[in-house]
Amino acid sequence: MAKDDEKDQDGGPGKGLGKKLDRRDVLLGLSTVPALGLFGQAWRKQRQYEQVQKEAASVDEAAAPTDVSEINVAILGSGAQGQVLLDSMLKIPGLRFRAVCDIWKEYNQKRAVRILKKYKFDVNGYEDYREMLDKEKDLDAVIIATPDFWHAPHTVDCLEAGLHVYCEKEMSNTLEGARSMVLAARKSGKLLQIGHQRRSHPRYLHAHDKLLQEAQILGRIVTVNGQWNRSVSPDLGWPARYAIPDARLRQYGFKSMAQYRNWRWYKGLGGGPIVDLGSHQIDIFNWFLGANPSHVMASGGLDYHDPATHEWYDTVMTVYEFETARGKARAYYQTQTTNGSLGYFENFMGDQGTLVISESEAANSGYVYRDPNAPAWDEWVQRGYITAPELQETVRTDEDAVLDVRESVSPDQHTIPVVLRDPYHQPHLQNFFDAIRGTATLNCPAEIGYETAVTVLKVNEAIEANERLSFRPEEFEV
Amino acid sequence: MKQGTLSSVQMATVVALRVLIGWHFLYEGLSKLTAPSWSAKGFLLQSRGPLAEVFRWMAADPEVLEIVNQLNMWGITLIGLGLILGCFTRLASAAGILVILLFYLCNPPFVGYFYSIPTEGSYLIVNKNLVELAALAVILVTGSGRAAGLDRIVHRLLGKRDRPSRGATSSGRA
Repeated sequence: MAKDDEKDQDGGPGKGLGKKLDRRDVLLGLSTVPALGLFGQAWRKQRQYEQVQKEAASVDEAAAPTDVSEINVAILGSGAQGQVLLDSMLKIPGLRFRAVCDIWKEYNQKRAVRILKKYKFDVNGYEDYREMLDKEKDLDAVIIATPDFWHAPHTVDCLEAGLHVYCEKEMSNTLEGARSMVLAARKSGKLLQIGHQRRSHPRYLHAHDKLLQEAQILGRIVTVNGQWNRSVSPDLGWPARYAIPDARLRQYGFKSMAQYRNWRWYKGLGGGPIVDLGSHQIDIFNWFLGANPSHVMASGGLDYHDPATHEWYDTVMTVYEFETARGKARAYYQTQTTNGSLGYFENFMGDQGTLVISESEAANSGYVYRDPNAPAWDEWVQRGYITAPELQETVRTDEDAVLDVRESVSPDQHTIPVVLRDPYHQPHLQNFFDAIRGTATLNCPAEIGYETAVTVLKVNEAIEANERLSFRPEEFEV
Repeated sequence: MKQGTLSSVQMATVVALRVLIGWHFLYEGLSKLTAPSWSAKGFLLQSRGPLAEVFRWMAADPEVLEIVNQLNMWGITLIGLGLILGCFTRLASAAGILVILLFYLCNPPFVGYFYSIPTEGSYLIVNKNLVELAALAVILVTGSGRAAGLDRIVHRLLGKRDRPSRGATSSGRA
């Protein structure tokens, strides 16, 4: 034995140079090769999981069908939001833009028409939407991005004219208005999509369908938290030579050019920040919790901005109570317009984990955190629903920033591997046009938009009443 | 058993140690090679200790950084292969020691240093890098590749003499 050991370790004493290999040499020489084979197998398995995760991360980009039937589209309201929607729509195949309607002929309308002509669309510009509906007889669909108080009349009239309607949120600044829209959609049999675009966002769909419904990854959701914080920004102005004449402003419900430009801050025209911003995210509360709230209380006020030019509350904090299928849940939401730190996100906390999700690709875009007591999430990692747990590393921008940074460790952070590389509104618009062609169902039909409108508009009511208000289940129905 | 010569069981444990360390190196190397944008930059930038300036200099110059990255990825991968297969075992273990020494010196767990890339354990001066380094020293001096590994075949075919530094076994033969 000892002799063998010796020979094994140095080739054996006294053996000649270049001695032939014996069987023992070959066997021992290759004895660790199987370890490499094992490594290869493990490596392959690991790579497969990584591949699955990578595939899950890439949004399904179905090849654009080449023979889609063309849809004739009109844009009603081509201000800032109308422009955002137009930019998205220019990337969607199969649309033929026919008309642009905007009361600011001198500016918004001109700009949109010019852009569309550049894209070789033969479009007509209108100031009055009724004239557009009278003259443009082959329209299929209209995209409405007017101030909130115009949504109901615009939508109802367009539906009655036989058009499918995509209407920006908030559905309406009044419940009566929102109700009339639901009824008009039902009566006309035309489609009405409300612009809560997160309902079509691939990351939100993934979180809802895969993580919450299928994997029930959070366990029972008990608390929810959301915010949209914005920095102070000056009131919107306008080039003096393009000002709308007073008579025309009054004809369309505005007192002045300043009010027209900043309509979101005025009661009777918009719904304030809780509606402009909160509505998108509170809509997600309802969707992800699978319920409408039972109660709401809220605190808010015009704490910062000038009351001469601002009527709505610039700061709102609100708490909803939900009776979900799995029990009670409470949801907090805040919006303010004085400090933009931490931006906007929604955060769902269950007894097994936490979901942080945002429409923003820039930050907080989508993470889940596993509670230490929760069952292992390996299966969801293997399926590519979430990434493997990551250590939280500091973003290093420059050397000095690194030196004194101490990060606490959260070893159970998983990323939701779904990113949207298109404009935020594109999937929701695509869903609308697909529904017109009969290849999809609407992700946010009128009824859902109405439920969200009821949920959100009650916040302003609660602030005014300064008390906890309850929702009756039938309030959410039309 | 002569002093300095390991029994079969002793040698087998050394070989097992060698294969495990090799496995670790190989995967570290391959996962860096296959990651599209891996870079040592973050690791180098948060360097502490006596050589911190040197490591930060490496991270600061894009050309130097690229060389460091390539050497790191390929070096670790090849060291891993060498250790698993017992091929150029001594060279592989010596290179491994050098690499780990650099890792250790870049972010030494000395008293009073805190790192933003967290570690999974608690260390006081001695961390797993240092332990792996010491284990590689054992691999280096036992020449296990010639017992079980491709070195045995290479050695036989080329018929190289043992190096005098191998100590008792060699001197026993002298």
